[in-house]
Amino acid sequence: MKKEPSRIVKFIQDNLVLCALIVLAIVTAAVQPKFLSAANLTNIMRQLWPLPFIALGMTFVIIGGFIDLSVVGIISLSAVITAISIDTFGQVGAMALGILSGMAMGYLNGVILTNFGAMTQAEVLFITYGMSSIYMAIGLMATNAETIRITRSTRSISLFNALGNGTLGIVPIVLIVFVVILVLMHLFHTKTLAGRGITLMGGNKNAARLCGFNIKRTMRLVYTLSGLMSALGAISLVSRVTTANATCGTGYETNAILCVVVGGTSLKGGKGSVIRTMIGVVLITLLGNCMNMLGLSTYMQTVMRGAVLVVAIWLDNRKQL
Amino acid sequence: MKNIWKTLTRQKAVFAILALLVIMGAAELFTHTTFYTLYNWLDMLRSAAVLEIVAMGVSVAVLCGGCDLSVGGTLCIGGILAVMTVNAGLPIWLAFAAAMAAGALIGAVNGFLIVHQRTEPFIITLGMGMLLKGIAQQLTDAHPLTCKSLEFMTISNQKYFGSVPSLVVFMLVIVALFYLLMRFTSFGRNCYAIGGNYEVAKYSGIAVVPIKWSAFVISGVTASLAGVLLASRMNTGSSVYGDNTGMLVNCGCVIGGTSFAGGVGGIPQSFLGVFVMQLFTNCMNQIGISSYYQQLFQGVLIVTVIGLDCYGRMLKREHRDRESRLAARMGS
Repeated sequence: MKKEPSRIVKFIQDNLVLCALIVLAIVTAAVQPKFLSAANLTNIMRQLWPLPFIALGMTFVIIGGFIDLSVVGIISLSAVITAISIDTFGQVGAMALGILSGMAMGYLNGVILTNFGAMTQAEVLFITYGMSSIYMAIGLMATNAETIRITRSTRSISLFNALGNGTLGIVPIVLIVFVVILVLMHLFHTKTLAGRGITLMGGNKNAARLCGFNIKRTMRLVYTLSGLMSALGAISLVSRVTTANATCGTGYETNAILCVVVGGTSLKGGKGSVIRTMIGVVLITLLGNCMNMLGLSTYMQTVMRGAVLVVAIWLDNRKQL
Repeated sequence: MKNIWKTLTRQKAVFAILALLVIMGAAELFTHTTFYTLYNWLDMLRSAAVLEIVAMGVSVAVLCGGCDLSVGGTLCIGGILAVMTVNAGLPIWLAFAAAMAAGALIGAVNGFLIVHQRTEPFIITLGMGMLLKGIAQQLTDAHPLTCKSLEFMTISNQKYFGSVPSLVVFMLVIVALFYLLMRFTSFGRNCYAIGGNYEVAKYSGIAVVPIKWSAFVISGVTASLAGVLLASRMNTGSSVYGDNTGMLVNCGCVIGGTSFAGGVGGIPQSFLGVFVMQLFTNCMNQIGISSYYQQLFQGVLIVTVIGLDCYGRMLKREHRDRESRLAARMGS
C-alpha cells in the first residue's frame, strides 16, 4: 500500500515556488546581513505600494476564472483624474473622484465583457487589453502627455502626504489603511454569499449558474472590485511619488498576476485567497530586494520575474494534471 | 443580396478595408490627401511588412488553437543577436542563422510548456514575453545597438523593380510560402484539424504533439526573422522594439477572421487583418488625427472586433444548447 505523504511534504509539493522564495530570502539574509536591517525593511515597506492593492483586485478576477489587463489603463487614468481634480474639488473630493472613476471603469469592463459574452480567458485578455489602451489614450488626451505635480496644487495636500510618507509610530499609514481593506476583503470573500459566488464561478460556471448565481452579475462585480483596487493603488502611487502621468500604470499588470500566481492562487480559477496573494506580494518584493542586495542589474530582475512567472504557472498546471 | 451581406459581415477585414476606402474617397472631395497614390500604398505595405511577417507565424499557432504573445520579445532578441553577430565580423548568413536558431529555441520552449504540459498559451506566452524582454535588455544594457556593416543595412533598405521596397518583396514571398504551406500540405491541413478539435484529431491518427509543437517553433522562427529585417531596416538592434507587437499581431489575426477558437480562418485573412490596422493608422494620419486619438480608436477597434468574435461564438453556443435541449425533449 502506498504511503500517504506527510503533511509537510505535501505542503512543500503544493507550494514549491513559495518555498523556493523563502529559501532565497533566508540565503540572502545569511549572505548579506544588511537585508534584515531596520532601514532596509522600512525601505521595502515604503516602496511596496501600489502593488498590494492591485494584486488584491487581481486576485478576485483570477479566482473568478478571468484575467484583467486593463489595470494599466485604470491606474493611469484614475491617477491622472485624482491629480487634476485636487485644484477644483480639494483633496477629499479628488480621492473620491479617483475611486469612483476607477470603479466606473471596472464596471464598464464588466458590462462590455458580459454583453459580448466573453467566457474564456483568451477573449477576456484581449478585450481588457483594448480597454486599457482606450483608458490610457483618454489619460494622454487629458494631460497632453505631461506629468502633473500635485505639490504645485494651490489646495492643501496633507492627506496625500500622510498616505505617502506619514507613519504611526513606525508603521506607515498606508499599511494600516491597506490592512483594514485586506481584512474587509477577506471577510467579503469568505463570509458573504457574493464572495463565495466568485469562487464558485471560477470553479465551474455551469454549476454556478445552475445553483442560481447570476454569472453576469458576478463578473461585473469582480471587474468593479478590480477597478476599485486599481484606483486605490493609483492614489497610493500618487501620494508616494507626488506626480501622475498617463503611463504611470505600465508594468503593474504582469507584476500583479505574478504575485497572485506565486501566492498559489490557480489561474484556472476557483481556488485561492487574498491572504495567499499577500504572501505572494511580500515574496516578490523581497525577491526584488534580494537581487538588489546581491548586486544584480534591474534587467536581470525582469528576467527573474518572467522566469518565476513561467515556472509558477507551469508548476500550478502540473498539480492539476 | 443576403449572401453578399453575410460574406461582408463574416469577412470583417474586407468590409473594413472597403469602408475605409470609401471614407478616404469622401475625404478626397474636401481636402487633398496623398492617400490614393502608389507611393503611399507601397509605404503602407513597407510599414506593415514586419508585422505581417510576424503574423504569418502567429496565425499558424492560432490556427492550431494556441496563441503566441511572446513574439514581441522574440523579435527584439532576433534583431539584437543579428546585429551582434554582424558587429563581431561574422558573415550575414550566420547572423540570420543565429537569430532564427534563437527563435526556434524560444518557440520550442513555448511549445513544450503549451503542448506537453498543457498550460494556457495566453498566460504562459505573456510571461515568456516578459522574460525575453529582460534578456534583450540585459544583452544590450538597454541601449540601442548600432550595426557597423553597410551590407547588413542594405538588405531591408534597397528597392527592387524600380520602386518596390525590398521589405515588401520579402513579405510577399513569405506570405505566399505560408499560404502554400497551410493550403496544400498535409502539415497545414493537420493544423486546421488540431485547431478544430484536438481530441478528434488525436483519435484520427494525426501526430498532434509534434505538429502543434512545430507550429510554435514556426512562430518563433518567423518572429526572429522579422526582427532581423527590422534591425536591418533601422540599422539598430534595440530592446524597445516590439513592445506591443504581440498584442497587435494577435488582434490583427482575429480582425482578419482567424478565430482564437482555432481551426477557422487562414493566411490571407490574417494578412488582411494586420493590413487593416496599418490602413487605419494611415487614414488617420492622412486626415490629421492626433496620435492620442489614434490610440483611442485602435483600442475601440480591438474591443469591437474581438467582442464581435466572442459574440458570434456565444450565439453559436446558445444555439447548440437549444438544439440539444430540443433533442433531449424529443427523446424523452
